[in-house]
Amino acid sequence: MDAPTAFRQQLLGVIPRLRRYARSLVFDMHAADDLVQTALERALAHWHQFDQRRDILVWTISIAHNAYMDDRRRHARASLVEPSDGFDPDASQPAAGTDIGLQLDLVKALGRLSLEQREALLLVTLEQLSYAECAEVLRIPIGTVMSRVSRARIALRALLGDDGDGKGAMPPQGTLRRVV
Amino acid sequence: MNTPAPDDTLLSAWIDGELPPERRAEVEAWLREHPDDAARVRAWSADARSLRSALDPVLDEAVPTALTQTVWRKAPAVLPDFAWRRWAAALALFVLGGAVGAGLMWRVQGNSAASPALASSGGWVQRAAVAHSVYVPEVRHPVEVKAQEEHLSRWLTRRLDVPVKLFDLREQGFELVGGRLLPDASGPSAQLMYQAITPPGAASAAAKPERVTVYLRKPDDATPAAFRYEQQGELGLFYWVEGKSANSGPTGYALVGALPRDKLLALAEAIYRQEPSRP
Repeated sequence: MDAPTAFRQQLLGVIPRLRRYARSLVFDMHAADDLVQTALERALAHWHQFDQRRDILVWTISIAHNAYMDDRRRHARASLVEPSDGFDPDASQPAAGTDIGLQLDLVKALGRLSLEQREALLLVTLEQLSYAECAEVLRIPIGTVMSRVSRARIALRALLGDDGDGKGAMPPQGTLRRVV
Repeated sequence: MNTPAPDDTLLSAWIDGELPPERRAEVEAWLREHPDDAARVRAWSADARSLRSALDPVLDEAVPTALTQTVWRKAPAVLPDFAWRRWAAALALFVLGGAVGAGLMWRVQGNSAASPALASSGGWVQRAAVAHSVYVPEVRHPVEVKAQEEHLSRWLTRRLDVPVKLFDLREQGFELVGGRLLPDASGPSAQLMYQAITPPGAASAAAKPERVTVYLRKPDDATPAAFRYEQQGELGLFYWVEGKSANSGPTGYALVGALPRDKLLALAEAIYRQEPSRP
């Protein structure tokens, strides 16, 4: 049986969030939309597997994640694209009052995180999934989500200019460090 | 304080609101006493905010037609083609509900009553009517950007990804007030507001000026759709989808106003003639 209208409507509703997630993974708008397209096609093909008690966003993000991993495996031998090369600042206009330079640094830094850390960080901070939902998407234990997110934060901060050191150490003279 | 120092994993989980209440209280107490850790946590939170502000604009982009079409496409080789057509036609009947068929004034290029553009138009036409009812009574802020500002058309064109022309309806007795950007189901849409020109010297203080709105959006489907009329209470709506042409993409239009139908039709015709796709 073909997917019912109500299900298609639900899918339409998550497209903007799927596009943002895909963009945060692959940066290039067209490649990201290709990923979204694949995810939508798979979701439609497996619509009967979707449990309506679940959040369709989490479900479709899982599908997008799997599609992305499949894609990476397929192109495992192809060289990785430097994320900032494909990132078009015009395609994603920064909100008024934000620093474009900072954002490009940020996107670049994001691209330098390991995929494991990047995905966990994005799902939790950008998509604002709970650790449990993130664990479901990535099919890893919640404890692993927790440590990946924290390591990603430290790594990102280090890439952005702060060494992120001072773990558990006493504050040096109690002075505030650079506040971003 | 004798609680052990929270490690980074715990501090990070605290930011995400993933700690049970007692652990949360411990971390908060620790952060109050340790400004260095507090600053680190603030920096992490700031990074998360920057991430969101860098990527949130994607949410406002118009959704590419290809993606919307993917969602409406039937599963390959599962149903024969006519079933999809029938389904679309049934949906069209459902969403158009009591739409008056007599409103079909003329046809624009080849149109199929079962086209997905029309099938899904009920939703956006409804949104056009709601947007009209919300903003028309506004006295002080009827529009987001006033007509005098020359970037209005450029701004809306850029955000909608369809050409937004500021139609000149002065011959029909209406002048442009301005426009605003609105969220639609699958991306941004625009509303242009026009107001009846009051003759100089007329006692205009008493009556509210007559206003009509033009709602524009990138349609879910490039198929041109016929010009239609619908009456919702005192509101009349003319709507149509203009297909892709050499110099512009497909655009969905809805003209909304509490005017007699012939008057509204004159405005709709003026807009139709001025559409950017027409030479």
